[in-house]
Amino acid sequence: MFVALALILAFVGLGYRLVDLQILRHEPLKALAQRNTQREFLFEPRRGDILDVKGNLLATSASVKVVCADPSLIGNHAPEVARAIAPLLQLNESELIQKLTPRTRVNDRGIVVTNSYVRLRTRVPVETWDLIKTNMAGLTFDVDESKLPRKEQTFYNNLRKKALFAEEYPIRVYPNKTLAAHILGFAVTGERKIDEHLINEIQGREGIELVLNSKLSGVPGWRLTETDRRGRELVSFRTQDVEPREGVNVVLTIDSFIQNVIESVLADLMEKHTPISASAMVIRPRTGEILAMASYPTFDPNSPGAASADARRNRNITDVVEPGSTFKAMVVSSALNDGTVKLSDTFFCENGRFLYGGRILHDHESYGNLTVKEIIMKSSNIGSAKIGILMGENRVFESMTEFGFGQKSGITLPGEVRGIVHPVKNWSKVTIAQVPMGHGVAVTRLQMAMAMSAIANRGVLMRPMLVDRLEDASGTIVGKYAPQAVRRVVSEAAAADMVEALKSVVSTNGTAPKARMERYTVAGKTGTAQKVEGGRYVRGKYVSSFIGFFPADNPELCISVVLDEPKEGYYGGQVAAPAFRKIAERAASYLNIRPDIEEKNPSSDVVSQPEQPRVALTR
Amino acid sequence: MARNRRHQTAAIRFGPAIKAFLLCLVIGGFGIGYVWQQSQIDELGAQIRIRENELNKLVEENRIRRRSLNNMFSPPFLERRIRELNLGLVQPQPSQKWVLRELPPDDPAPMQNRPRDYAARSGIMD
Repeated sequence: MFVALALILAFVGLGYRLVDLQILRHEPLKALAQRNTQREFLFEPRRGDILDVKGNLLATSASVKVVCADPSLIGNHAPEVARAIAPLLQLNESELIQKLTPRTRVNDRGIVVTNSYVRLRTRVPVETWDLIKTNMAGLTFDVDESKLPRKEQTFYNNLRKKALFAEEYPIRVYPNKTLAAHILGFAVTGERKIDEHLINEIQGREGIELVLNSKLSGVPGWRLTETDRRGRELVSFRTQDVEPREGVNVVLTIDSFIQNVIESVLADLMEKHTPISASAMVIRPRTGEILAMASYPTFDPNSPGAASADARRNRNITDVVEPGSTFKAMVVSSALNDGTVKLSDTFFCENGRFLYGGRILHDHESYGNLTVKEIIMKSSNIGSAKIGILMGENRVFESMTEFGFGQKSGITLPGEVRGIVHPVKNWSKVTIAQVPMGHGVAVTRLQMAMAMSAIANRGVLMRPMLVDRLEDASGTIVGKYAPQAVRRVVSEAAAADMVEALKSVVSTNGTAPKARMERYTVAGKTGTAQKVEGGRYVRGKYVSSFIGFFPADNPELCISVVLDEPKEGYYGGQVAAPAFRKIAERAASYLNIRPDIEEKNPSSDVVSQPEQPRVALTR
Repeated sequence: MARNRRHQTAAIRFGPAIKAFLLCLVIGGFGIGYVWQQSQIDELGAQIRIRENELNKLVEENRIRRRSLNNMFSPPFLERRIRELNLGLVQPQPSQKWVLRELPPDDPAPMQNRPRDYAARSGIMD
């Protein structure tokens, strides 16, 4: 009877416990059980690549390792380990021995502890880490391990397998180093918290990397699953498995070859004329596509911290300067458009000295009567000032805003500035004479190149285009950017007249004969602007430029070259025009642009017979 | 009568034994089947895990190779190699180029009069 009662009580107790565990405390216990068994993994999405228009890789992502060591597992074998891995980590062997040698200290509780974490090197490629693991696994010591006690055998096993370990993280890689650095910008690896999980993520900081960060980044994936005692996943217990969505690839309008051409030409200019900075751009006037854009000094986006902030600046869009004589092309185009002047109209250029508004304007030579075409050809300040005066203040201001000055061009890059175009109410009496010769106004190099491209494009200003399309990992186009016309700034006829005038600039009587090409008609304009410091023009400090396009009547490319304070010559026609020609010739050859000047002595219908073996480097 | 009962009793005992045996066999079969299935699931799970890891490794290797290939095609790399190997490759001189003249077009409208510029295509007029 007693036994039966005890059994009943025991079963009642067990029953209550069962109800308590399974029903009353079901939810918290279920959560606890899940916490013990379930694991949530977050998957970092792969950041999209940045490619040039031909599909060449400009920026990509790679996984690298940070290699660490546990000196407490190495004991007195630091020299052997260092010898095995020092060449792979490209570290000095003696320094490595020091790092790997265990150090002891007394902790707060008075216990002697050995250090167990030393960081050996960051940014180690995965392949190198694989070699390190192989070398570690093959380590031999001068002992017969099979005869050692079990404890020592375990020590050697741990040394080989666990003494070195690595954590993986993604980095951004720019395989061409400085190529297109100012366009690409740079990205850094940072941590982001998602649902209490920290994930390593590459975040854009400058350039295209910053502007299109959201498109390049992608969306993280996750997996809800269970693991065994050794941390291996039990695939059958996967309950949620969402793949990360990779970031899209950004295909730029940039062409690596032309980009390389302008960068090598700029490097030569920096060496020859030692300017503070030099910049260049190649634009397709018909579409506004930017084929190349560079600025010197430059930087390597693989290690942006090594360069100064000055070198990281894309001067084409962030710096403003008085444009100088290149600006004459825009103001005179507007005058031609309005019918205020014709190319054949003549202006008296005051023999080089013109008193206006209490100031004396100078020409670099004393000119008498010049036609409008000659004013552009000779770059007469007085002639263009007189055209401006004829147009009137409001119209000159209006023409500047029509050409896009004082406004952002809308390029897909951060940090673009508007430039400075003062409203007419703030103009002094002499401003109307100064603006047409490119003084009293501050513009970016991109604005100037786009304005010249508008003249080349028969009067239509285009929005600068830097991104051609967005593609997914399989190459399927997910977004295509189309050329955008901003507005017509001058009529087709006025643009054609201006092209005629600009063609004369590269003639022997013009200011830039050094820009002339053998097989193409070039149209362009030189600029030599005195720099302003502390509100005053400074003698001996100039911004020299040449902006031109070719073939003049059917332009394929517009090229701008600007040097800030060049030495060994400072006229735009002297320092920038030859650089224009170098870039134009290589670009024309590479793009197979059809020449518009017939060769002098064609032997037959097939014009020229090669005289030398054909050794051409084109891709 | 007794004989018959004896015969009957024997028949009754044999039947349940077979049934019990079959029942045990079925239950045992289910049990073994369940364990076998679980072990197969685990085995396949392990294989999936291994193959996924292999796939990830191959994808990463592929990326590394693609990157190397791209590096080899990059203009700065090519220029450096040309200098290193002293190949003397230069841009072709105009005299080295073949320029072919186009035949007169059948189309009476000359090329330059066609609306090929963006301004004309986009319909922007004066």
